[in-house]
Amino acid sequence: MNAAARAPAPGGPLEGRTAPRGRFDETFLRRLETLRVVTKRASLGQLRADRRSRRVGAGIEFADHRDYAAGDDLRILDWNLYGRMERLLVRLFEEDEDLAIDVLIDTSASMGLGAPPKLDLAAQIGAALAYVGLANLDSVAVTTVSDALGEDLPPARGKGHILRVLRFLDAARAEGRTSLAAAARDFLGRHRRHRRGLVVLISDFYDPAGYREALELLRYGRFEVVAIQVSAPEEARPALRGDVAVYDVETGEERDVTISARALAEYERRHAALVRGLDGFCRERAILCFTVMSDEAFDAVVLRVFRAGGLLR
Amino acid sequence: MGIFPAWGLALEGLSAGAAVGIALAGVAILTGLYLLKPRRRRVVVAFAPLWLPGAGERRSERWARHLRRWLSLALQAAVFGLLLLAAADPRSRAADRAGRSFVVLIDRSASMSATDEPGTRLGAARARARALVSGLGPADRALVASFAADVSAESGFETDARRLERAVDAVRPCEEPADLGRALFFAAAVLRGQPHPTLVLVSDGRFSDDARANAAALLDRAPAGASATPSLADVDVRWAPVGRRARNVALLAFAARRLPADPTSAYAAVTVRNFGAAATTVTLEISAGAASALVDRVHIALAPGETRRHVLPDVSAPGARLAARLLEGDDLPLDDRAYATVPGVERLRILRVGAPNLFLDGALLSLGETAAVHGARPEAVESTRARWTSYDVVIFDGVAPVPAPKTGHFLYLAPRGPGSPFPGRGVLRDPVFSDTRHGHPLLRQLDLGDVNIAEAERLTLEAGDVAVASSFGAPLIAARERPGLRVAALAFDVRRSDLPMRAAFPLLVANALGWLAGSNARELPPALVGSVVRVPAPRGATRVDVRDPTGARASWPVTGDAALVPIRRAGFYRVGDVTLAANAADVVESDTAPVRTLALGGRTLSPPDPPLGHGRRPLATWALLVAAALLLLEWVTTHRRWTV
Repeated sequence: MNAAARAPAPGGPLEGRTAPRGRFDETFLRRLETLRVVTKRASLGQLRADRRSRRVGAGIEFADHRDYAAGDDLRILDWNLYGRMERLLVRLFEEDEDLAIDVLIDTSASMGLGAPPKLDLAAQIGAALAYVGLANLDSVAVTTVSDALGEDLPPARGKGHILRVLRFLDAARAEGRTSLAAAARDFLGRHRRHRRGLVVLISDFYDPAGYREALELLRYGRFEVVAIQVSAPEEARPALRGDVAVYDVETGEERDVTISARALAEYERRHAALVRGLDGFCRERAILCFTVMSDEAFDAVVLRVFRAGGLLR
Repeated sequence: MGIFPAWGLALEGLSAGAAVGIALAGVAILTGLYLLKPRRRRVVVAFAPLWLPGAGERRSERWARHLRRWLSLALQAAVFGLLLLAAADPRSRAADRAGRSFVVLIDRSASMSATDEPGTRLGAARARARALVSGLGPADRALVASFAADVSAESGFETDARRLERAVDAVRPCEEPADLGRALFFAAAVLRGQPHPTLVLVSDGRFSDDARANAAALLDRAPAGASATPSLADVDVRWAPVGRRARNVALLAFAARRLPADPTSAYAAVTVRNFGAAATTVTLEISAGAASALVDRVHIALAPGETRRHVLPDVSAPGARLAARLLEGDDLPLDDRAYATVPGVERLRILRVGAPNLFLDGALLSLGETAAVHGARPEAVESTRARWTSYDVVIFDGVAPVPAPKTGHFLYLAPRGPGSPFPGRGVLRDPVFSDTRHGHPLLRQLDLGDVNIAEAERLTLEAGDVAVASSFGAPLIAARERPGLRVAALAFDVRRSDLPMRAAFPLLVANALGWLAGSNARELPPALVGSVVRVPAPRGATRVDVRDPTGARASWPVTGDAALVPIRRAGFYRVGDVTLAANAADVVESDTAPVRTLALGGRTLSPPDPPLGHGRRPLATWALLVAAALLLLEWVTTHRRWTV
């Protein structure tokens, strides 16, 4: 791909804008523009948010019948069926609605580890998903989470908001502990009056209390949940030997460990079990789950998410 | 300075007490630090619960971990000990002495070219000398010198083994005989006043009796004072022998000369000797001229130690160059070749002044065409004075002109009166030839033992005059040699003796004429390599050109009427217009039989001490190097986390 092809597309939302520095450099913006082209082809012809909800409403496409109940609009009573079956049934139609996407990014201290830091990739993935959502005129909100719900970016539509998203995410810093369950409770409380939609939770899922409660809470809150676990390569396969004191960056807990080959194998087994446990938990609950490494390219991760299907149409 | 007598070591740096104290303190501190719980390296992780203390560590692994820590302690202790050792700087007590002063004297004489050692004897000597200088102690100094007929210092007193080895390697063989006395004199001179003087002679031990006697005198001489003649009495003299076997046949002599009785004829003689322990047959070839035309070839059978003489009876070509060689190879090729020149024929111009003397005239007639004799009456002696220097020889028979001539060549027969160069002190009745100088040219091939003389004049000699033959101290034949003047005199009238009746008389006359005329200068016998030959120079010449056998040219100064030319190698020299043959044959040098014991004076020389072993590098240097290696090992083990 030549430089011209990698540059922001003429007339695109990024052209002529001042891009935030840091996590979102010129290269990121070029790759984001390329990603937009790819995702646009995938949702060709969708000029507006058109995700079908399961709610029955004023749509035009027939969905089902149900018994008439007092108060139902008589205009949707199926008189033909009444003539044939002498039962009062109303016609149900799928209602077209725009999608509400909430991107939750874990900004706990553990996300600052790794080379590059896991938070960088998490922010880039979040920005890319937000950009695609905005481009599809979905309602996109971005929120940081640690041991509670952090700052958030109010829901917005349209690609013109992407720079706000980028600046917001560029300012995110890794600090604090992880408590996904507390954050999920905060999130549900904040969205009690809002429509339910898609929640993308990007985290390393290193929560001493576990991730299960958080995911269950979101699911019970009738959100469609996507879990993206970000790990650092050195966390999966640490290059440590000898007597060391491991210091937990979030809890401050320090424990003396003698890292032998055997101890290292034990650690790797436990780490793999954590990853597999999350994957298995999500699979059982029809939650999309992805495990990525912090040194992966964000666009490759986003495309992988797209290819998995179901996230955005 | 602490000393460990049991180990032969002395500490140059830290004292023994300080070293022990620091060692104890260091070991205590190191051990204490290792016994303390080590401060672990802090590693920040994202999720500590994934790490379990001692996860899966077996008992054996725990012990191995402890062992690795102790190994690390051992490495640190070893490094500390080595550094302490370097700080203490131990030296061997032998090397710690004030330092020995060595003179390594390498024999490079002709016999050292023998090939019975790998390479040559000189090659083996160089190897011995190299081992010697590379094994000297740190405080030792050495000077490398080589010798044959003279001595060359190849280096000054050095402590750098590499320079000394280069000096040893620079020693080259030569064809000269060894002058041990001169070499030891040199060594005694340079070792005078040096601490712990030691002389190591690296040689095959083949030296002439004269050389041994001179050397023994140096060893036996009283210790040298500040201004006394150098002595080796206080010097530790050692001998490193080389040489393995005796397998050599040598051409000991080769010469051509004209027959005194028939100067028109010449013959050549060569002397061959078998120095080997086994009988052998050699092939001798004699060639002549620049084209090396073969003139003789004979096979000579030689028993062990046998000497044979081969004569080539008629060598007709005057001035020809002759070369003899042995075809069979042996251990010393140097003496398998010999050179000689056939003397040319010169016509002497002789003036005989005196009364008729048939005996003298007969002797002069025997010279044939080699002499042109002019005669003069005694009373006309003064009229001929102006022409004396134009003759090769002037014979005064019973005449002694006054004043005696100061320049020229003169033979006096029975000189008397105030003009006699050797004033008479009376008459000697019935003298006999009791003492003769056989080496003098006047007496060459002469035997005067039973000559009867009625009476002779008691001649008085001046300083520098030579009594060639005498009767109990009274000179009967005298010779005088001064710049521009040569005089020979017979103290008796030959007619009052039976000498003219003997064959010795014409020979004596021929010898006298030849010596006086300097014909020897034109017929120089072959010279020995290592000698200095007096070659007469043309009148008035201040320098002569010398071309050696290799073709190298040099201009040599003339001293008096001759040039003193040192002979360095065998072959033909050209000195001015004189051709001189030079031979390397020397009965001592050619005898390559190994010498087992070398005794000089009252001392039997023992071999040199073996090298000190640790070379010239102090122990501290090795300690530092090992410490550096251990530190590197420690760094690697730490970096690879084998010991942490």
